[in-house]
Amino acid sequence: MHLFRFFSLVNTQAKMNLKAEASRFILSYLWWVIEPLLFVLIFYLVFDILLNNGRADFLLFLTCGKIPYLWFSKSVTSASNSIVQNKGLIHQIDMPKALFPYVSVQEALYKQWAVFLVLFSVVMYYGYRPELNWLWLIPVMVVQYGLILACSLLGALCVSFVGDFRMIIAMGMMFLMFTSGIFWDINAIANPVLRDLMLTYNPIAFLIDAYRQVLMERSLYDLKHLAALGGVVLVALFAMHGVLHKASKLIASKVMNS
Amino acid sequence: MNQQPETILAAQDVRLCYRRRSGFLKWFEHTALASISFELKRGEILGILGRNGCGKSTLLRLLAGLIEPTSGKIICDMQTRRALLTLGLGFRPDLSGRDNALLSAMLQGATKGKALETLQGIHEFSELGAFYDQPVKTYSAGMRARLGFATAIKTEVDVLLIDEVLSVGDVNFKKKPKRRCWRGSPVSRQWCLFLIVSNR
Repeated sequence: MHLFRFFSLVNTQAKMNLKAEASRFILSYLWWVIEPLLFVLIFYLVFDILLNNGRADFLLFLTCGKIPYLWFSKSVTSASNSIVQNKGLIHQIDMPKALFPYVSVQEALYKQWAVFLVLFSVVMYYGYRPELNWLWLIPVMVVQYGLILACSLLGALCVSFVGDFRMIIAMGMMFLMFTSGIFWDINAIANPVLRDLMLTYNPIAFLIDAYRQVLMERSLYDLKHLAALGGVVLVALFAMHGVLHKASKLIASKVMNS
Repeated sequence: MNQQPETILAAQDVRLCYRRRSGFLKWFEHTALASISFELKRGEILGILGRNGCGKSTLLRLLAGLIEPTSGKIICDMQTRRALLTLGLGFRPDLSGRDNALLSAMLQGATKGKALETLQGIHEFSELGAFYDQPVKTYSAGMRARLGFATAIKTEVDVLLIDEVLSVGDVNFKKKPKRRCWRGSPVSRQWCLFLIVSNR
């Protein structure tokens, strides 16, 4: 399939899916903003009021970590099921199987704009004003988007062959939630070797720290680290496209007989 | 001198076996098709009849290029656009007929611009009237079949594979494919074949 036509199809299908989803709820597209607002409200109630965490800006700290993590986990989880969920279409037309995870990731990306607006509102509520330094968030978001795509393609491939991978992915997301420094500061790890290991081998931990560096510390993250991560993500994306292309008919056969 | 129509789709000694998991470390193996060979030329219409479970739908999936045979070959040019119509599959129930037609046309190879241009034609051919802009979940089986068939016709696929779809359409609509193919319309000249599967 021609590249332009592929992305045009991804975009059209993602918009249609969002339209279909919005038509199921009375509050329609408003849920894009209501959902992240409710998340922040729950965090506020639990961590600021009930647990009364000592840190004055804990809600901001938590939101800066949780929102990027939710983008990753929601996208990868839904995209991993996307090939299997499109069994009906796979029964009818021979098409690149990468299309389905791409559509899921694109859907999540459209919703994410509203979620990031909520994040920026919380940052401003804590007295931080938008500044040029915030532009350094763009490379972080681009690399995170690439990472989401690569993980989604891998997840969708695995789930289409062995359904049990759904459970493993769900467990993996929980593991990431507790080890990526969402509720605690990764820089608070006393052992520098262990801290470096966490930041090197857990890209989500590094990305969350990068969001906080820009939004809360008004400083810059490790650019070399981000570039290296971007390179790895690019190689992984190419590799996953190759695998999905090669295994296209086999995937169709597996999905039809599942 | 009359030119022989070109072969557009051919099967050579096709065999298909599949293995399905039936429990913990238990597998069920079945040979769905064996020794299937035939050749179809541009303009030909072929019907396949057989009892339930004899492999008709599986054969269509092979011919549509969705799956590969265990052995043997399906010969079809890379440029040939094939569409398989299967009852109740491929439509998003929450979306309108118009939106589904747009997506189907794009999935069958049309650009977005071309797909948008064909929407009016699909509306007229499908005879859905005001239902065209209603969610597909409100459609009857026959209306879904009409939408699928109209989309395939208007996006001018080269090979149309129909798996019992028209068995649910009304009498008038069932005659439409024949009229489209045999009355020398521009569509019939572009089409190569029309494969209909039925258990009746």
